[in-house]
Amino acid sequence: MSMFQSTQIILAVMVVTYVVIRLLKVSTELALFFAALAGALAGGAGIPTRHIVEGAFTYLDIILIFVTATLFMNLLKESGGVAFVIRGILSRFHRHRSVLFVLITLLLLIPGALTGAGSVTVLITGGMIAVVLHYMGIARPRAAAIIFILAGLSAAAPPVSLWAMLTAAGVNMPYVGFFLPLLIPCVVLALLTIFILGWKGRPVDLEKALAELPDAPAKMNWLKVILPFLVFFAFVLAGRIWPHSLPIIGLPMMFVAAAAVTFLLSPVKLDFLKVSRETIHQLLPLIGTLTCVGILVQVMTLTGVRGLIAVTIVTLPLTVVFLSLSVVLPVSEAVLMWGAAPVLGVPLVLLFNTIGLNPIVALAGMSVIWPLGDALPPTAIIGRLTKDTVGMEESYGRMLAYCLVPAVLIIVTGTLMVVFSKELSFLTLL
Amino acid sequence: MRVNVRSLRKAGFLLLGAALMLLAGLSFYNSRHLKEPVVLGPSVTEVKKLSDYFEGLEGTINDANVYVLEGQEPGGSVLILGGTHPEEPAGRLATWILAENAVLEQGRLFLILSANRSGTTVTRLGGAYPPDYSIETPWGERTFRMGDRWSNPLDQWPDPEVYIHYPSRQELAYMDIRNLNRTWPGRANGTLTEKTCFAIIQMIKEEKIDIAIDLHEAELQYPVISVIVAHEKGQDLAAMTSMMISGMGGFDLGMENSPHALRGLSHREIGDHTDAISLLLEAPEPMLDATRGRTDRKLLLEGKDEFVVKAGEHGLLFEKIDENGWPIDVRVGRHCSAILQILELWTEDHPERGVVVTSVPRYAEVIENGTGAYLHDHRKVSPARLRFE
Repeated sequence: MSMFQSTQIILAVMVVTYVVIRLLKVSTELALFFAALAGALAGGAGIPTRHIVEGAFTYLDIILIFVTATLFMNLLKESGGVAFVIRGILSRFHRHRSVLFVLITLLLLIPGALTGAGSVTVLITGGMIAVVLHYMGIARPRAAAIIFILAGLSAAAPPVSLWAMLTAAGVNMPYVGFFLPLLIPCVVLALLTIFILGWKGRPVDLEKALAELPDAPAKMNWLKVILPFLVFFAFVLAGRIWPHSLPIIGLPMMFVAAAAVTFLLSPVKLDFLKVSRETIHQLLPLIGTLTCVGILVQVMTLTGVRGLIAVTIVTLPLTVVFLSLSVVLPVSEAVLMWGAAPVLGVPLVLLFNTIGLNPIVALAGMSVIWPLGDALPPTAIIGRLTKDTVGMEESYGRMLAYCLVPAVLIIVTGTLMVVFSKELSFLTLL
Repeated sequence: MRVNVRSLRKAGFLLLGAALMLLAGLSFYNSRHLKEPVVLGPSVTEVKKLSDYFEGLEGTINDANVYVLEGQEPGGSVLILGGTHPEEPAGRLATWILAENAVLEQGRLFLILSANRSGTTVTRLGGAYPPDYSIETPWGERTFRMGDRWSNPLDQWPDPEVYIHYPSRQELAYMDIRNLNRTWPGRANGTLTEKTCFAIIQMIKEEKIDIAIDLHEAELQYPVISVIVAHEKGQDLAAMTSMMISGMGGFDLGMENSPHALRGLSHREIGDHTDAISLLLEAPEPMLDATRGRTDRKLLLEGKDEFVVKAGEHGLLFEKIDENGWPIDVRVGRHCSAILQILELWTEDHPERGVVVTSVPRYAEVIENGTGAYLHDHRKVSPARLRFE
């Protein structure tokens, strides 16, 4: 039996195991884990304990960033900071729909851009933005679509874009030069999405909106909201300006410092342990998925399945590769979440590099498309999270229908960035 | 007694987790503490430590052995680095062959078998590398640690959000702050990896090293492969080596100039910051390719992979590959021949600084006899002639 045939059988075993486990209503994380286990057994590797544990640690650093960044954002929310900002913006700009859209875009982009997780955007600002959108006359499914698409774009936006980071790491490419190739499409597409989906509505009913939004504590002010962010960026900047004079503390510790400042400045007494517990509880599905994706990727590499997928894709005709990005990337995200980056991103970037395209711009283009898969089954974590956070009673399909137009725009933009990456390479130099 | 099913399930998962941790933990512990014997060859007169050149490394895992081989006649000094990237085993094995076999007639040879020893104690997360591999010898097997490209996070962590190279300030990927071939020339008060480079730079200066050769392997999808990369000080030497090897050595070896724009690499920074000529040798290693199939010891040692062959058929590789693959003996043999050729050409041009080495096999001999034929039975030598990596 050739290596192709034996590996195809292992892949089939993994897929069947995954589907069966999911049909048994077991969680996605455990389905991923059992698929990995079945793959190892089918591949003759037995129960590879070392590989299981090693794989589980693959995304430890990213998990720590998630946990600390979300803790920071949750403390900010509990202190009344997020409500203060949203109420302030709404009161000041409720008569200027366009300005309001631009500010809402920023509020939705920042949490995910800082943490690399669209779920953080949904959880931190998504709920309150949904209230604002509701009082702007935008129906819940439409509002949910706006929040989902912008949450996805926020995850792809710099400085932390996990798809780009994981793929770059996999091809030994510095995570440098990505800022503009990621920022420009994310901001433009986010603005297009909110204007397209939100333009039809009615003037904001300020009184009703403010009544429904949570109150901000009386002693909250802009300084107390901004200072924790300044602390975070001060650490980032200090590390960049004096990299050889300061100790390396890492992104998680920077978020912890920002969280500590938020805690100390909070006008209301915060129950730190309670917020910490809730943060972990809130992130557990994501942590579990990342851990199990790490295990799955390790076993796929061990058994050759990862190579099979990689070589199958990179040996397709180039036009087919370009055209299939619109399907392959979201579907891989739906199944593997960030695991799609090392499994598919790495061989694709190597292919693009080999044929003379710009790997940074091409990877940025792919990174914009990937988050669309977060609305698709089997995982659909962010999509469902958005539906719940917005409080949408209509079917999930209604939200997906409203996502179609922005999704097409995102796919076309991302694919064009890949195809014309060489011509756009100047973006990496700025 | 009423059994709480939920608690039972939780206890079951906890036990399963504990068992996984225990079994995997044992494997990780054994890898990190596996002793790799080195039988000191006839010309090894001294085994120093990197901390002899820079105290800052003393007591750390990267305080590597420095094997000093001396000839009867005075001459020049050459340094050979193995294990800069411990996931590239041919480089380490070539230095092993030199340490156990080389006879120096003139000059001095300095060998570091585990330039980034920390990197030899960890395998790549997600890479599914085997923890070790064994080389067949006439007297049994010799087992070596398989390592990673980067220092072990147990020894150096956390990483910054972006790595800014010293002293150029070039921005590099965050994890490359643990990459020994991105942290040259290093810093005395830097990270463990930077300190290691700093120590080697001090050694090069103190020992008046003429040539530093860094041994590597590369994936076939990487454009810099099967080449000798040379600092401008070593361009003539590298060009001649490439010509001689490609003409008479039995294999093709290209030559590339060390780019000025890419910082932190040995071929650039050693040449810039010391008087030594810096060269880097790359051999092909299919196990590093992203399109590789099953990842195991067999692939590591035989270098045969149908998927990589298919990628090659589609023109996606920068080195040829067929069903014969790239066996470890071929890769080790390439390094041995290239090193000997460099030394010969150098000695011809600089007789007073010459380094003359004999008893080291060339490409054809390593392929014919196998790498293991040049590893000696460590059980039969006196402790005084034995060291461990």
